[in-house]
Amino acid sequence: MENILVDVLLAAGVAAELVCCLGVAVMRDVYDRLHYASAGTSVGPFLVLAALLVREGLASQGLEAIAVVALLFLANPLVVHAIARAARRIDAGETASSGPQGGEV
Amino acid sequence: MNAFETAALALIAGFVPLGWVCLRERELDGVVALELAGVVTTLVLICLAEGYHRGIYLGVAVVCSAVTWISGFVFARFFGRL
Repeated sequence: MENILVDVLLAAGVAAELVCCLGVAVMRDVYDRLHYASAGTSVGPFLVLAALLVREGLASQGLEAIAVVALLFLANPLVVHAIARAARRIDAGETASSGPQGGEV
Repeated sequence: MNAFETAALALIAGFVPLGWVCLRERELDGVVALELAGVVTTLVLICLAEGYHRGIYLGVAVVCSAVTWISGFVFARFFGRL
């Protein structure tokens, strides 16, 4: 029973991650691609983590995997925001010297 | 070959569309693909550590996730400044 649950969770996690990879390739706009990249940092990793926790429990291996997935989940939205901000600057034709804050004198 | 090794092998297939985006689309789209490739790499390392029953290998996944995060910021900052 436990092995079936691990297999199902792993299959779901891998499928979610592959769908996100395909979504990044299929979408035409950088903002749409960011949408799929964000999903790739939350759905897939949590399902893989769940599979690992079902097998290992809260041993040292499980705790280390929790740390990795927590780092992915908490840190990557910041990167997504930074990339979206850079894309907005590029699309608006802003540079460091002509940005809304004035930039260099 | 256990379930985690199979999962790692299947996840590696995800690099193909991401590599295509890096090669064919504009630079910022490539950064998005690179960011997701870092996440996929981290998951592959987790699956391999569990598949080989070597808990110590999870340290590599921790480092990979941290480096992915830092590189995303560096690339976003660089391309936003051009």
